[in-house]
Amino acid sequence: MSLDTATPAPGGAGKTVRQPSPSAVTKADIAKAGATRRRNAAKWKLIVGTICTLLVIIPIILAQVLPLPDANFQDLGARRLPPLTDGHLFGTDQLGRDLLSRVLHGGQVSLTIGLLAVLVSGAIGIILGAAAGYYGGWVDTIVSRVLEAQMSLPLLMMLLLVVALFGPSIPVITFVIAIAQWPEVARLTRSMVLVEREKPYVSAARILGLHKIQILIQHIIPNVIKQATLVVLLLLAQAVLLESALSFLGAGPQRPFATWGRIISDGQDYITTSWWMVTLPGLVIVLMVVGVNLLGDGLRDRPRRKKKGA
Amino acid sequence: MTNYILKRLGQGLLTVFLTVSTVFILIRMAPGDPAVSYAGPLASNEQLAAVREQFGLDRPVLEQYWIFLQQLFTGNLGQSYSFQAPAMQVVAERMPYTLTLATAAILLTAVVAIPLGVWMSRRPDTGKELGVNVLTIAGQSMPDFWTGIMLLTGFAVLVPIFPASGFATWGGLVLPTITIAILQIALISRMVRREMTNNLAAPFLTVARSRGVRSSALTWRYAMGNSAIPVFTALGTRFAAMLNGVVVVEVVFAWPGVGSLIVRALETRDYPLIQATVLLTALLAVGVQLLIDLAYPLLDPRVRLGKAATA
Repeated sequence: MSLDTATPAPGGAGKTVRQPSPSAVTKADIAKAGATRRRNAAKWKLIVGTICTLLVIIPIILAQVLPLPDANFQDLGARRLPPLTDGHLFGTDQLGRDLLSRVLHGGQVSLTIGLLAVLVSGAIGIILGAAAGYYGGWVDTIVSRVLEAQMSLPLLMMLLLVVALFGPSIPVITFVIAIAQWPEVARLTRSMVLVEREKPYVSAARILGLHKIQILIQHIIPNVIKQATLVVLLLLAQAVLLESALSFLGAGPQRPFATWGRIISDGQDYITTSWWMVTLPGLVIVLMVVGVNLLGDGLRDRPRRKKKGA
Repeated sequence: MTNYILKRLGQGLLTVFLTVSTVFILIRMAPGDPAVSYAGPLASNEQLAAVREQFGLDRPVLEQYWIFLQQLFTGNLGQSYSFQAPAMQVVAERMPYTLTLATAAILLTAVVAIPLGVWMSRRPDTGKELGVNVLTIAGQSMPDFWTGIMLLTGFAVLVPIFPASGFATWGGLVLPTITIAILQIALISRMVRREMTNNLAAPFLTVARSRGVRSSALTWRYAMGNSAIPVFTALGTRFAAMLNGVVVVEVVFAWPGVGSLIVRALETRDYPLIQATVLLTALLAVGVQLLIDLAYPLLDPRVRLGKAATA
């Protein structure tokens, strides 16, 4: 940290010397400070994350509107065309179907499953976690035991088992992913509620005669919901990855729903001759998941803005 | 101490028992008939009935469960339908391959992720750290099957350095290990960074620094010493999870482990094989978890197993 108090303004060599600053801290110091760099990094992550996510999500939402060939339209005369030929931006697959169209329509299925799964697991996790943290006692014991048991279970194996046995329909897969993910939300919510319930405002509410459930829903949950939803956002990235892994193993939604994992698994046989059939869908997944993860990271690192009037 | 081990052992066995029972119920609840996949779609009703009788599938579910429990305690879960061999033996033969792959992957992860995490925690909020941070985000965002196929194409097909599949030579171990490790390194190094950042900012570290303790000792002995348990736990838990079969990677690389076995067993509805796989892997995973707990006093002398923490 520089100690000269009369720092001249940058580029101000010819101008009159400014009044000595009352603080020894210069603007350059502030710009170099850890807190500033952290804020800038968070901002950078937020911007890049948003761009990556939107870059994938907007075309997926608009898949029906965009001038693309039908995802299941086969043109055997145009099999395995490399990208950028004949208007096929991503090329075509072994049946002459437009790869970009398939990726976007598959993305609709993958994203829907991911969003639904995250909503379900978020709801289960927040409710059970909050109940366990607030009530303690036997509620906590049961929830914690179930959490532990599930952590020690072979996860992917169980998911495969359930999907293999009950059929790979969208509700089953959504449910399976939600079940796989709720422990994370529940654990976090539980630990946050444990901290919150000891705070003075909870005692105050209790003395005012509020019912336990009312305290939990009206006062405690609003204080933890922000951080819990942040985790849920990160879980969305995981849900998309999990769904694609299940699809890859053949336990995804059945055709004609060509989800991302399935497209990659189909293209695997042609990898030596048609690189794009695996590489491009994979890059789309990576772009989207990196985007969501960056967003989550950036939101977490972002300095809390002070409330107005506080 | 002995009491603690016995208690944990009991809890672990209970978990295993509940797991295999859940799987038993799930299998029986589900639609689909193993006799059809065994005898083929063209089999006549008499043939199907014969198959069901042979496997004991024609009996009431409760009786099947009772038989299953008896089998459980004798350690013989019956013949695998598709391998025509004792199911436990089929799984036990696959286990060393999964064990090898998991060990290699976790070693590589530890060797790379711990120094990387420490490196990041020592220069927080710098450009370099941000760069590595983004790399770890990318690492945890790549689907492992995709990474596997990419590595396979790159280093086994286009530039044939390593064999593409199976485990004939030690070179075959390289690509699957790297595929698993990429994700694990990303997760563990971020975790190490978080733990270390907290400890490096702790008051006891400021005191130690003001007393002139060297920077390397501050990092490794003071901060890492206090991060050791969570980091070790994370590594151990990941390892235990891998013993359940690194399903996706094993399928991509045609690795003859438990993961690819379970996929096959599920496809053919090979009940005994599914049960045996779940039983063996759950036992192993619980065993590893117990070992992790037992190692805590070695990592942190303040830990006394089975006793409430005292200040």
